[in-house]
Amino acid sequence: MIDVQQVHKSYGGVPAVRGVSFRVKPGEIVGFLGPNGAGKSTILKMISTWHAPTAGRVTVSGFDTQIDALEVRRHIGYLAEHNALWETMSVRAFLDFVGKMHALRGAKLAERRAWVIERCELASVLAKRISACSKGFRQRIGVAAALIHDPEVLVLDEPTHGLDPMQVVAFRDFIREIATAPGHEKAVLFSSHILSEVAAISDRVLVIQDGLLVLDESTKDLLARAAKEGVTLESLVLGKVVAAKEEVAS
Amino acid sequence: MSARLRLSLGRSFLIARRELIAAFDSAIAPVAIIVSLLFVTTAFMNGFFLAGRVEMASFFARLPLFLALLVPALTMRLFAEEKKTRTIELLFSLPLSTGEAVLGKFLASLGLVVLFLMGTLTIPALLAWLGDPDGGAIVSGYLGLLCLSAELCALGLFFSALARDQIVAFVAAAVTGSALILFGDPRVKSALDGLSDNPHAAPGTRLAEWLSPAGRLFEFDRGVVSLGSLFFFASFTVFFLWAAGFVLDRERE
Repeated sequence: MIDVQQVHKSYGGVPAVRGVSFRVKPGEIVGFLGPNGAGKSTILKMISTWHAPTAGRVTVSGFDTQIDALEVRRHIGYLAEHNALWETMSVRAFLDFVGKMHALRGAKLAERRAWVIERCELASVLAKRISACSKGFRQRIGVAAALIHDPEVLVLDEPTHGLDPMQVVAFRDFIREIATAPGHEKAVLFSSHILSEVAAISDRVLVIQDGLLVLDESTKDLLARAAKEGVTLESLVLGKVVAAKEEVAS
Repeated sequence: MSARLRLSLGRSFLIARRELIAAFDSAIAPVAIIVSLLFVTTAFMNGFFLAGRVEMASFFARLPLFLALLVPALTMRLFAEEKKTRTIELLFSLPLSTGEAVLGKFLASLGLVVLFLMGTLTIPALLAWLGDPDGGAIVSGYLGLLCLSAELCALGLFFSALARDQIVAFVAAAVTGSALILFGDPRVKSALDGLSDNPHAAPGTRLAEWLSPAGRLFEFDRGVVSLGSLFFFASFTVFFLWAAGFVLDRERE
């Protein structure tokens, strides 16, 4: 479970996130939408413990990101925005390293490694250096590393970036499957700036603009509202964003 | 050892192992070590055959300044590159404390320097073959170099944590490390003492006593291993490691 309560973040006095609150429950997939620079990545970085909030509180699986950062990292699988990986490592050595850092050893490590290799389709590049892998593979390696310790919470920053259309579809199914696996439900929060992608995969949509959360609504309700008002989903969300911009400007 | 400490050290060793593999993957570390070994051994042999004395005093006197240049070449990439390539975010998304990461990288860099120092053991081996050198002074001299290496590794790591660019980290660490050693040189000491009008101030002497490892290393070279000297190197090493962790934590706030 992710719990973000009244979180603010400023860089050198300039506000990047302003009083954002939301929750993501186990088994729920939440899409985080917003233009570049809106504050999506900043919030995800605060959830991953990389950044500290200026004010407010973030908890993951009940652990405060500021007090129990290591415990949070044990319960979270995180794919960072640029998915920077250690280029000179082989894919297998990288997955083993990440697994061992999560205290996986022996048969358990072998089992989890085999699972992520199969699910992320990495068998063909296992012996390759990461630097020799294509962008699509690199993205899948990042996702595999985020999943190797079977975390309760998945935080993915632009996870489909660099994937081809077929891989994007497969990825959506994959995320849905792992989020709702009986007995292993995961809270999934992922960011994107493509509305159709967010609507296709998530149970709930969060829209952020200029550091403010301007929309927090279930995908089903959002689609129903768009149909009722006779507008497209895009124009409905855009209306919210424009209204927020005007509010900030005034 | 408690289970918690064992796990913590285990994570640091994992980082150290990964760093050592990465160091040998890139050409920089092996080339720097091999070239340094060739240079240091050749320089010593030239002096040795001219002087004809079975002792390592000249080696122990010259090596500190050489280490002040070699060690930053081995430490410069440790955090600066992680920041530049943004893998530092990946590193700290793992259940690893800043202290564990700093310790792991410190152990890796010290491991590389130890490898270099082991390469120079051909010199005492040759001396033992040719004559009867003072074994105790050689062992304590090497212990002094090990202590200095630890301090320089910690210093290099601090500048690597501070800088985003490897070259900046190298230059800052090399200049600071060399300056600390040169503060102990009698000529530098008297020149700095001469800068003050107050004869009791003696800034050069004070700097040499408080900051420079040169006087301590001279003791080691003569076969004297004092607790004070060990404490001196340990405290500087711990301070720079703490400062590296502090800088990394501050950057993320």
